[in-house]
Amino acid sequence: MDIQKKILVVDDEPEYLELIGKFFQKRGLGFEIAGGCPEGLDWLSRADFDVVVMDVAMPGLDGLQCMLEMKKLQPPPEIVIVTGHSSLDHTIRGIKDGAFDFCLKPVDFDYLLEVILLAKKKYNESLLAQK
Amino acid sequence: MSNLLNRFRNIFKGQREPLLDAQDLEQAFTERYRHFRRLLTANNNALQAMADLEKIYYSGESYRMAAVRSKVTAILVNVYKMIRELRELSGGKYAELENRFDFISKEIEAVIERKPDPPKGPSILPLTEVSRKIRDLTGDKMANLAEAANVQGITIPQGFVLTAAATNYFITQGHLAEMNRRLQILDPDDMEGLYATCDELQQMIINTPLPADLEELLQLHYANLEKKHGEGCLVALRSSALGEDSTGISFAGLYTTILNVDRDHLAEAYKKVIAGKYGPKAIAYRRRRGFRHEDIEMCVGCLAMVNANVSGVAYSTYPAAAGPTVRIVATQGLGSGVVEGSAQSQTYLVNREEPHLFIEEIAIPTPGLLSEQMLAEIAHAALLLENHFEGPQDVEWSFDQEGKLYILQSRPVLIPAEQKELIAPENIVKAGEQPTLLNGGVCASGGIACGPVYHIRTKEDMHTFPKGGIMVVEYPLPDWAPLLGRAGAILAEHGSEAGHLATVAREFSLPAIFGLPGLLATLPEGKEITVNCSERKIFPGCCKTTLAQMKPPRDVMAGSPVQRLTTDALRHITPLNLNDPAAIQFKPSYCETLHDITRFCHEKSVTEMFNFGDRFSFNTKMAKRLVAKVPLEWWIVNLANGIREGAVEDQKSIHLDDIVSVPMLAVWRGISYSPWQGPPPISARGFGSILLQSAMRPELDPAVGSAMNTKNYFLISKNFCNLSVRLGYHYAMVESYISDFLTESYITFRFKGGAADMRRKAVRVRLLADVLREYDFRIELQADILLARIKRQPREYLEKRLQVLGYLITHSRQIDMVMDQKGAVKRYEEKFLKEIDEMLSTASV
Repeated sequence: MDIQKKILVVDDEPEYLELIGKFFQKRGLGFEIAGGCPEGLDWLSRADFDVVVMDVAMPGLDGLQCMLEMKKLQPPPEIVIVTGHSSLDHTIRGIKDGAFDFCLKPVDFDYLLEVILLAKKKYNESLLAQK
Repeated sequence: MSNLLNRFRNIFKGQREPLLDAQDLEQAFTERYRHFRRLLTANNNALQAMADLEKIYYSGESYRMAAVRSKVTAILVNVYKMIRELRELSGGKYAELENRFDFISKEIEAVIERKPDPPKGPSILPLTEVSRKIRDLTGDKMANLAEAANVQGITIPQGFVLTAAATNYFITQGHLAEMNRRLQILDPDDMEGLYATCDELQQMIINTPLPADLEELLQLHYANLEKKHGEGCLVALRSSALGEDSTGISFAGLYTTILNVDRDHLAEAYKKVIAGKYGPKAIAYRRRRGFRHEDIEMCVGCLAMVNANVSGVAYSTYPAAAGPTVRIVATQGLGSGVVEGSAQSQTYLVNREEPHLFIEEIAIPTPGLLSEQMLAEIAHAALLLENHFEGPQDVEWSFDQEGKLYILQSRPVLIPAEQKELIAPENIVKAGEQPTLLNGGVCASGGIACGPVYHIRTKEDMHTFPKGGIMVVEYPLPDWAPLLGRAGAILAEHGSEAGHLATVAREFSLPAIFGLPGLLATLPEGKEITVNCSERKIFPGCCKTTLAQMKPPRDVMAGSPVQRLTTDALRHITPLNLNDPAAIQFKPSYCETLHDITRFCHEKSVTEMFNFGDRFSFNTKMAKRLVAKVPLEWWIVNLANGIREGAVEDQKSIHLDDIVSVPMLAVWRGISYSPWQGPPPISARGFGSILLQSAMRPELDPAVGSAMNTKNYFLISKNFCNLSVRLGYHYAMVESYISDFLTESYITFRFKGGAADMRRKAVRVRLLADVLREYDFRIELQADILLARIKRQPREYLEKRLQVLGYLITHSRQIDMVMDQKGAVKRYEEKFLKEIDEMLSTASV
């Protein structure tokens, strides 16, 4: 599986970013960090990512709205939502709008890793299918 | 199991898509396969989350709303994914599933997001206007205190209550959402994190300014109090949480009281008491007892300070050697130290009968703190309150400098919690317990039962199952679910707590142990046994010591808001109504729960996917003949990456060395392990030899035959293989996907038919089934149709099983013709098992 492309983590919690950053580093996964949606969109416009791991309960732009913006990119990255609080209605809307997965914090990183790898796989498969 | 028949019927009669060329076929396959694989993954995740949710619910341990929310989220997300993938896989069928999902998820949402009604009423009420009738507005503590004032002979300090309406006005929904978010993300075991978060939350409340009109109202009521107690009088601010003092749930000592507050610090002290709701102890206690934070609303009593000379607590009924007494604990000055256990105090036991004679004085650091007259006065007040509130009371009191007795609080005395039942580890033999017959496996559903063993192998066996019998099966199939109402317990050699049957067993509170090999061999039918599923032990006979332990464990969450809510949510999630795929009700419109939807999607995805080879015909020109040293012809259709890169391919054939399909190579090792020795001797001169000839006759041009009907085809990719073998009169199919993710990996084997009569064919498939069971296949059998499956196993394990299938495909040919010979079945079974074991023990790849 091609795991060369980077993961983009969008979250406004510094502690969580630090933990997940260390986790990715230890496993040799390429990643970048954005502190919010606009910064995330900026990263996506400048570099190649296959998976975005993002919180949707951040101050500012509505997280799901932000996800829809990210999904407009070609090819669209797979979005894994990891959040502290989400109403069920919000969650269902997220998954119907095309989120790859939706996990509530605290999330087990090993579990999250398998989700991310599956998301990468789906991203690659979608690319192949387009070709 | 007639579903199995249907599947086969579809294979033979089912509609076919138009002929596809190589590229289209590859695309059709890869697309469908992706959806199928994702669906299986979502299925496993949904079932696992359901099992997790039930596990925490039935564990008897406490759990928090955050855990329930996480699991419900995972279930909803994965069930929706299954629907999406099934619809993609089936080309848009099953639209009704979306409606069912929306309906069910709305119901669950209504339960999970259920909020207590917002309190209605004035923001501040003088105590003189408070009674137990409005305790939902003032909290129990202040309602009880106000009510105590109505009892002749009881005096309370004057004051007022800032009600739940005030709190609700001060703490907005926005605050609550943010606080819940911060609490949700906490790791439940991270105590340090809990303390830090509590601190943040409390600061957040303290830093929020009080709404101006509320502050004004507070000052107004304080001014009224000043009129009675003198300008600048000091007050005590005391917590009075909703539900705090109700019987059975104590919340004792978790919240904040602030004494000696003056006018300038009123608002600040008020906010501190409100913030006390988010103290670490209070949060931990709510979690343990199953309260969401929104289930507790903090109200605050503002009471004029009593200029206390001596204070303390009294228990209106206290068991002593001489019989019930009133127990009084006193300390100099303010009583807070007694409650907190920090002050030097003195304890008295006083007769409950008038004139409340002093019985005993315990620990006397400051003798003479209370006179007999004062003790009698306190005892009298405590008994008045006990009488009024109809139960033993825990009373806080103070004597002021003038010797006047004030009651500061009165609440019911809690009955001490029962001791929690201890569960011994499985390897400890308790006194009076016999040695076990078997132990281990997985506790799929806790509990104890006793009854006769009954083996269930086929649907027919189900009809004669005795009520209260201990059901012993090889695989915990959903098919057995209808029996759970009759069974005393269920034991299975395979399976885990995440399966459908485990779910249903928990739903029925039916004890169950899964994943315990050797059950069928160790437990003969009719034998009386006792099972202790929580401890995963099986005893011979009726073990009275074990049965004596049967009692429902005390549930600390009983009746709590979180438990009620989880119970209601589970009703829409776990019950399984769609048990029989052959039933007319097996339709989206009959899905009442998320479990029903998963069951439906899974069943239909298998049907949709397994028909691939049958529904999609292909131009046989794209098949290439396999070049290898074996008899018969084998044809390869490369779906994707099944052939080594750079392999020299000609138009007609492909060399075995160029094949890289992992599952195909494994099957091939079985096929080519030892050459088939020809048909059994007895039939060589008759019908058998004709069959042999028809099977062996080479058909050199692949375009001549009618698609897959007469040849052996491998459809391959790197990780996938679908082999159809149609030799003479029997049909066999092996399909496997071997992935790095266990959730995606499986093997399916189907076998049908033969040239012999039905009885002999049936004997052959049973022989195959017996052999496959030895290698852990899950078997479904009907007449001469066999379906065997394995899933969620590592690569090496699956490769060995594929080898077994390859061997059996080669060696079971035409043995149906001799299946009526005496001892033939046993002879073949022994031969097969011996040779397969030899094959597997020789170094593979």
